[in-house]
Amino acid sequence: MPAERILTRNVGRPDSTTLAAYEANGGYQALRKAVGSMTPDGLTEEVKKSGLRGRGGAGFPTGLKWSFMPKEVDPKRPHYFLINADESEPGTFKDRLLMEQDPHLVLEGTLLGAYAIRASVAYIYIRGEFVHGAAVLERAIAEATAKRYAGKNVLGGGWSCELVVHRGAGAYICGEETALMSSLEGDRGYPRLKPPFPAASGVWKCPTTINNVETVANIPFIVERGAAWFSSVGKPPKNTGPKLYCLSGHVKRPGVYEAPLGLPMRELIEELGGGMLHTDRPLKAVIPGGSSVPVLRADECDLDLDFDSLMAKGTMLGSAGIMVMDSSVCMVAAMARIAHFYHHESCGQCTPCREGCGWLERILNRIETGLGLPSDLDLLLSVSDNIMGNTICALGDAAAMPTISFVKKFEEEFRHHIEHKTCLTGTLAMQGVR
Amino acid sequence: MIFDAAFESAVDAIVAKYPQPKAAVLPVLWEVQKRMGFIDTAAEAWVAQRLGVAPAHVHGCVTFYTMYKQRPSGRYHVQVCTTLSCMLRGSDELVTHLERRLGVPVGGTTPDGKFSLVRVECLGSCDTAPMFQLNDDYHENLTLEKVDRLLESLS
Amino acid sequence: MPRVTIDGFEMDVAPGTTILQACLQRGHEIPHYCYHDGLSIAGNCRMCLVDVEKQPKLVIGCYTPVAEGMVVHTENDKVKNARSAMMEFFLINHPLDCPICDQAGECRLQDYAVTHGTGKSRYTEPKLALAKAVDIGPHVTLDQERCIQCSRCIRFCDEVTKTGELGFFDRGERSQIGIFPGRSLDNAYSGNVVDLCPVGALTLKEFRFQTRVWYLRNTSTICAGCARGCNVVVGVGQQPTLMTTSGQLDDRIKRIVPRVNADVNDWWICDEGRLSYLREQGATRLVPAMPYDAAVAKAGAILAAAARAGTLGAILSPRLVCEDVFAWKTALEAFGGGPMRVHPLRRGEDDGLLIRADKGANSTGAGWILGQSFGATAPFKARTLLVVGDTLDPADTFVPEPGSAAEIVYVGPFVTPASRAAAVSIPSASWSEADGTFVSFEGRAQRVRRCHLPLGQDARPGWRIALDVLHAAKLDAPAWTSADDVLAAIAAKVPELEGVTPAAMGLLGVPARGTVGA
Repeated sequence: MPAERILTRNVGRPDSTTLAAYEANGGYQALRKAVGSMTPDGLTEEVKKSGLRGRGGAGFPTGLKWSFMPKEVDPKRPHYFLINADESEPGTFKDRLLMEQDPHLVLEGTLLGAYAIRASVAYIYIRGEFVHGAAVLERAIAEATAKRYAGKNVLGGGWSCELVVHRGAGAYICGEETALMSSLEGDRGYPRLKPPFPAASGVWKCPTTINNVETVANIPFIVERGAAWFSSVGKPPKNTGPKLYCLSGHVKRPGVYEAPLGLPMRELIEELGGGMLHTDRPLKAVIPGGSSVPVLRADECDLDLDFDSLMAKGTMLGSAGIMVMDSSVCMVAAMARIAHFYHHESCGQCTPCREGCGWLERILNRIETGLGLPSDLDLLLSVSDNIMGNTICALGDAAAMPTISFVKKFEEEFRHHIEHKTCLTGTLAMQGVR
Repeated sequence: MIFDAAFESAVDAIVAKYPQPKAAVLPVLWEVQKRMGFIDTAAEAWVAQRLGVAPAHVHGCVTFYTMYKQRPSGRYHVQVCTTLSCMLRGSDELVTHLERRLGVPVGGTTPDGKFSLVRVECLGSCDTAPMFQLNDDYHENLTLEKVDRLLESLS
Repeated sequence: MPRVTIDGFEMDVAPGTTILQACLQRGHEIPHYCYHDGLSIAGNCRMCLVDVEKQPKLVIGCYTPVAEGMVVHTENDKVKNARSAMMEFFLINHPLDCPICDQAGECRLQDYAVTHGTGKSRYTEPKLALAKAVDIGPHVTLDQERCIQCSRCIRFCDEVTKTGELGFFDRGERSQIGIFPGRSLDNAYSGNVVDLCPVGALTLKEFRFQTRVWYLRNTSTICAGCARGCNVVVGVGQQPTLMTTSGQLDDRIKRIVPRVNADVNDWWICDEGRLSYLREQGATRLVPAMPYDAAVAKAGAILAAAARAGTLGAILSPRLVCEDVFAWKTALEAFGGGPMRVHPLRRGEDDGLLIRADKGANSTGAGWILGQSFGATAPFKARTLLVVGDTLDPADTFVPEPGSAAEIVYVGPFVTPASRAAAVSIPSASWSEADGTFVSFEGRAQRVRRCHLPLGQDARPGWRIALDVLHAAKLDAPAWTSADDVLAAIAAKVPELEGVTPAAMGLLGVPARGTVGA
């Protein structure tokens, strides 16, 4: 029996983006309940008990993050709630689905979060490329404000919360929460040194909380149905709630699939995803969490897609961007392409990432095009090792971890490129498309 | 030229949404690009002056964020995603096809100014790969035939 | 006070002290590029990574405050490997410019490569090519390839001068320092970014290719540009003459850089002060018109006659060291006296940073010695004027009004309208050619040191000439044989300067008794 659709219950319904449709399906009841009968701290407690963990990639417990905020608002230091809608992790497209198809769910979750942390304005930082999504959100905000769900004196309860859409302009690094704050303040998207942490000093040096779109989309359901219910979904106690999985690559039915946290990878690929794209090309590798996590070989894919199961296997759930590769894929070319991404997106602030990402890509390009040297594999591992842990933010790690995993798990392929200057998969790897 | 009263009040409305004017840099640059099609140094200097920041700061933002254009692009700006999931579903062949069809290499603009072609990173549409963004709109689940038909309709 | 253990050594440090600062207190410098005491913390170079027990990763020492019980290792294998890893990253795109780069010999990249690097490169890919020798301002040249993106220069222009000329452009590996198209790095302190730059990305145009830094003979002295008295190091060329490219004889000043003095100029100096030696080198030195003995005899005769007639007066430059001022006062009194005043030398405004409108480096000291407060000296008429010193200011040529003096005795380093009108002019040593004492506008007595032999023919220290004039006139003269002797006499006679000795002044000066709160 297919799992109940919670997060995606409105997706596909006619007029799903309108307030009327949202209300007709029970929308904004959670906000009414929270503003009417819950305290901000009470709401935070509920979210804590639910076990909800951040859906942006880090998996940090949401209620705990909210509890870091000051319990009183210093008038000189207002609280800010920021929604990270910068979705740029390769393989990830779930936040876009929610924003474009059920914007009011995102807004209600945002308002609830803002209420819990005592913010009176929430900025939705949406990547610049999502022009359509930003327009949908703006329309929804206008509708919600007209109905007093947002803006001044929300539902007559005395609390006000303005919603502002803020568009990025093309920078993956702005998905990193401190870089997002820099960008919101009007700077280049440079991540910041921590401490201070955002709850102590964030945007404009004020207490700030940043949450992912999908994370806040869970909040209305926690309020409506209770933490106990939420924490029974998925794999309690540490991996609870519904999850949106992004399936892409060599499968018959790529797309966003909702299931309780802990969906077995095989089920996602073979049943929900319709199996491999080409029946004569078996599964070769899967990157489970967006490209910033270690790759899994086909024989490593019998596992559940939840935070802890993947961590136990030496990789991560991350943004749940599951990228499926079949036997036709040259792993050298795939890794070179991934390395190009980090090279392009590095902000350039700190030395190891700024210099190291370019170096990794150049080595991989040489190996791919038949100019590799036997010492290159150790060099890739060494450079990756020198980047890891030494940077201001996790982008350096995000470039290093896949590199290390690809070189170690597909060593034979890399060696073949170096020694024989051809590709084991037989595909025309030397595409020269750079 | 574009800095008329209507523009000024649009900028005022933007600035009002933030506690400090510097935060309006990105949205105001979008306004400039919406009206001019790109952002030149004169516009950067205007924005800097209006928001009370150094011109070098504004130029630093324009050159950091890849969607801001310092030169006009083609009327139809074709931005092809070539990151991993799109690569797995044929983005590279798509790029080669477009280069041939449009007669420009990646990074170029057709002599008649109609089309410009660039490669971009993951656009968050991996389930409908291969795809590209043409100006503001996503064109997904592309095949070479679909692309040809689209280009013809625009020519 | 948190107690922290660094490399096995226990120390108590004030709360908020960073690991890097704690190490500096012990005299141990953790390698770093982007950190600077005078600027905000950037934490981007990652060179100062150190190992703190119980932390999962290395932390940067410049930003991490010490905590009670913290145990830090700055020289273990983990840290050494990280340092050599960072050095390797710094060098992969860095151009091999050492043979043509001014920074060689005082370059942190060179120094750390030797101390912390691996000694060989594993990088075999093409290096990034960016713009070189970019003219970004009247005094500064930028080489974008050499830049290590530490952002010190940007932070200086944002935080100290608040002029914001510089910024990062582009992103990632292609990030470069730049200036807004059409603008110029032309604030009054632009040269400081050259000092700040740890590598040769920002260089001073006036020093470009002049000499190698290891050929400089460095002297700690005080800038003579204004009454602030910024502490400086003067670098004099001593490159073997055969290798001098400009054809000039060496033993000339090649550059001036600031010295750190928390009580005067912190880490900075203004451009005018930094380049003041060019004004001196560009001015025409006074050449004696007659042998020295004849000149001092003639001067003595004129001064004696004028003093007897009661028509003698003296105008002294506020740029003279205390020793010269005191010597001439002593001499004039021995001749029989006459009004003396310090010439007021003002230009512009105090800028709230370092620059003072009072361009007299020693106007305070001169005023104390003559017993006059600044600006309160009324002009006087004198038939015979002793004019001593220079202003080196084309807008203020230190010329008495025409017709106000029938005859002039001039003592100074350079040709001036006064020297041309003088009955006798005697060349003296300039600011960089003799020891002495300046008193800043805040009343700080600071030691001026001789940097090189006089460039002017027969130029002597001013106090020496004053003595010789007295001798020539057969009057009693003090038995001074050195600038120190003169200073001792001053300390005995001038209450505000009591207790001021070269030892007391040391390298950083000493507040004199005339100082508020001294």
